[in-house]
Amino acid sequence: MTSPLQAFKYTRKDTFLDSLDPRSKFFLSISLLLISLFTQSITVQLAVIGSTFLLVAAAKRLRQWVPTLQAITPLVLLIFAVNLLFSTPPSLAYAALMSLRFLAVTAAFSMFFLTTTPDDLALALEQSGVPREYSLMFTMSLRFIPTLAEDVETVGAALMSRGFKLDEGNIIKRAKNYVYLLVPLIVYEVRRSLMIAEALEARAFGASEKPTRVKELKMRARDYIVLAASLLASFSPQIIMWLGLNPP
Amino acid sequence: MLAELRGVSYRYPSSNAWVLEDVDFHVDSGEYVLLAGPSGCGKSTLARILNGLIPNFYGGTLRGFISIDGKDPRSTPTYRMALSVGFVFQNPENQLFFSDVERELAFGLENLGVDPGEIRRRVEEAIREYGLEGIRHRSPSELSGGQKQKVAIASVMVMEPKLLVLDEPTANLDPLSAVKILGLVKREVLRKNIGVVVIEHRLELALPYVDRMVVMKDGRVVAEGDPYVVVEEAGEVVGVPAIFDVYRRLVRAGLALGNPPRTPEELAAKIMAVLGDG
Amino acid sequence: MDAAIVVDRVHYVYPGGVEALRGVSLRVAKGEFIAIMGENGSGKTTLIKHFNGVLKPSSGRVVVDGVDTRKAPISVLSRKVGLVFQNPDHQIFSETVWEEVAFPMRNYGFPEEVVEERVERYLRIMQLYKYRDRSPFLLSLGEKKRLTIAAVLAYDPEIIVLDEPTAGQDYLQKEQISGIMNLLRTMGKTVIVVTHDVEFVVQHVDRIVLMSQGRVIAEAPPSKALTDPSLLARARLMPPHLARLAIQLSRRGVYSLSGYPEIGDVVDQVLKRWAR
Repeated sequence: MTSPLQAFKYTRKDTFLDSLDPRSKFFLSISLLLISLFTQSITVQLAVIGSTFLLVAAAKRLRQWVPTLQAITPLVLLIFAVNLLFSTPPSLAYAALMSLRFLAVTAAFSMFFLTTTPDDLALALEQSGVPREYSLMFTMSLRFIPTLAEDVETVGAALMSRGFKLDEGNIIKRAKNYVYLLVPLIVYEVRRSLMIAEALEARAFGASEKPTRVKELKMRARDYIVLAASLLASFSPQIIMWLGLNPP
Repeated sequence: MLAELRGVSYRYPSSNAWVLEDVDFHVDSGEYVLLAGPSGCGKSTLARILNGLIPNFYGGTLRGFISIDGKDPRSTPTYRMALSVGFVFQNPENQLFFSDVERELAFGLENLGVDPGEIRRRVEEAIREYGLEGIRHRSPSELSGGQKQKVAIASVMVMEPKLLVLDEPTANLDPLSAVKILGLVKREVLRKNIGVVVIEHRLELALPYVDRMVVMKDGRVVAEGDPYVVVEEAGEVVGVPAIFDVYRRLVRAGLALGNPPRTPEELAAKIMAVLGDG
Repeated sequence: MDAAIVVDRVHYVYPGGVEALRGVSLRVAKGEFIAIMGENGSGKTTLIKHFNGVLKPSSGRVVVDGVDTRKAPISVLSRKVGLVFQNPDHQIFSETVWEEVAFPMRNYGFPEEVVEERVERYLRIMQLYKYRDRSPFLLSLGEKKRLTIAAVLAYDPEIIVLDEPTAGQDYLQKEQISGIMNLLRTMGKTVIVVTHDVEFVVQHVDRIVLMSQGRVIAEAPPSKALTDPSLLARARLMPPHLARLAIQLSRRGVYSLSGYPEIGDVVDQVLKRWAR
């Protein structure tokens, strides 16, 4: 329901990005992150955002991806303002660089979450040696975000239906108002977690030291190509320098 | 006997009150038992003893003789009980964890360390039996209430339990979906000869399917046996279904209607048989 | 008759893009008891959230007691329309049972002596007075349900909306909720229930509104709607057992179906036939 959350939520589609192993996709996002972190060039930041855009478009996820970026726009502007005010000497280019960097990193990771199921993520963790307790915790926290969001909405509606003015008053008053929202939510979510724990027990969770996996992630040729391309991209500034060219 | 409890009493930790007192209960293979009674009467507690959540998960003091598929939950961890007893909860939302129906079905078997090839075989079988082909890669959280509960049942049935316990499985469903779920469970009883204990408040929905009915009140079993007889004894606690009321009045007036009916259509047929179908 | 609620060609689209209401029109008269029935996802809950302005129509309008819901805040509309949500755990906010019932009245600025008097009255009616100093979270599900109803009745809205009041309730709790419905009748309230419970509806409402896929597909008194299996099936409902029996018997000429069947009447007609 809530659009910023929706934008990180996986939806099943059949595209090239979906068919990749989560590990190679993760590596791809990491290399975009690294490029963004290590470059001082606005052009390169724009190039990162641009190539992410193309990838997301190819994965047919623009409709979810664009709202994420819209949702973080106020934060991007804040980063811009803060850097402009506090950099010495004040530099428009530096502020632009920092805010674009934030945008680029969010864009890259939003792409990762939009095209990777929580289940596959957990599998990738498990196959990297993370115990099932932790990988499951990860899957479930993603899985129950929409449920929690729905609870928040219902409790808020119920509170207002009792004549309570949730969104009125100054900021301190509002913060206090939200305590009313939290009480039933905490009670309810604690109860829910108990019910989830019961259900896990009933599905023999913890029965075996070594649970089996019906689905094993496998790196395929396309994954290695993506890995190589990401690696190449990460080191592109160095390569360009090595070739004796000036970095942009 | 698949599962048997004799003289069982239970109290939760940090409580002095016994929530179950001297309870006798049994269920056999191929038997569909309806467990009814006011909320707080101890039904859910009894159900949780059957799969070992009590005492393994909840602690507390548990007394009396208990044998469930030869196991005593006091000396058997819940995950071992899961091999004998499948448990389905009221709210499907809280018992489905994954974003893919196939993975959901495989989860219990994975936990038991079953060989992947065997898991795939059983998951395929369940998908076929439960008609989940069209939704095998959907996220359970996006399914309708009835479909969710169907997946929840399938996800415990793949572990091939001998006893299936369902705690108000239809409370969140519309009547048609509820009937389908109870009917699906009946099919499993007939096909696989499993024992079933279902907790359900709406007698009219459950009556067509169940073989026996047990009514609890204040931590005790107060009536047990054929649903019609049980309702005669405990009607003020669980209510009297309309067809039983009609049947009772007609029989008292002298109509020879035979065994008590389970559905309105059956009662109508019995009445017509006596009237000579005019 | 005066209208309590008028719904006029309302469409509602959730922010995610799902169109939950597709042109719903409905009129509820003052003092009328209606049931909104239909499968899960048919738009029932979305519709009732429009009655106190928690949701505002994407197009069309909802008028409550003469007020267009788009032009009034929830706090004003809720004073007219008391909404009892399905899950009591979503709507308990206070530390004690007493405070829970007082909470809405405090929000509306009722004088303290009125609050005192009404809290006590409604806790007694709902048989919760003995728990007045307890935490509401420690009550049983049935008790919590009655508490949430008490909290709404106490501030005396003209229109009461109940979402699935009998879902998950046992036989005795249902009888208590039936008692509450009778009380609301004597108080002259307008009542709207969302429910799947056909037996409950037979006893209490004047009119059934059947919904399917965001539209109203039929409106009829229970005697008519609940004896029409094909109509009910479209809303994923089934006739109550008694209606099914009566339908079967009337098809075979043993019972003449007029209005909703009564047990005594069915028995009498069968016996009359038998005596011949």
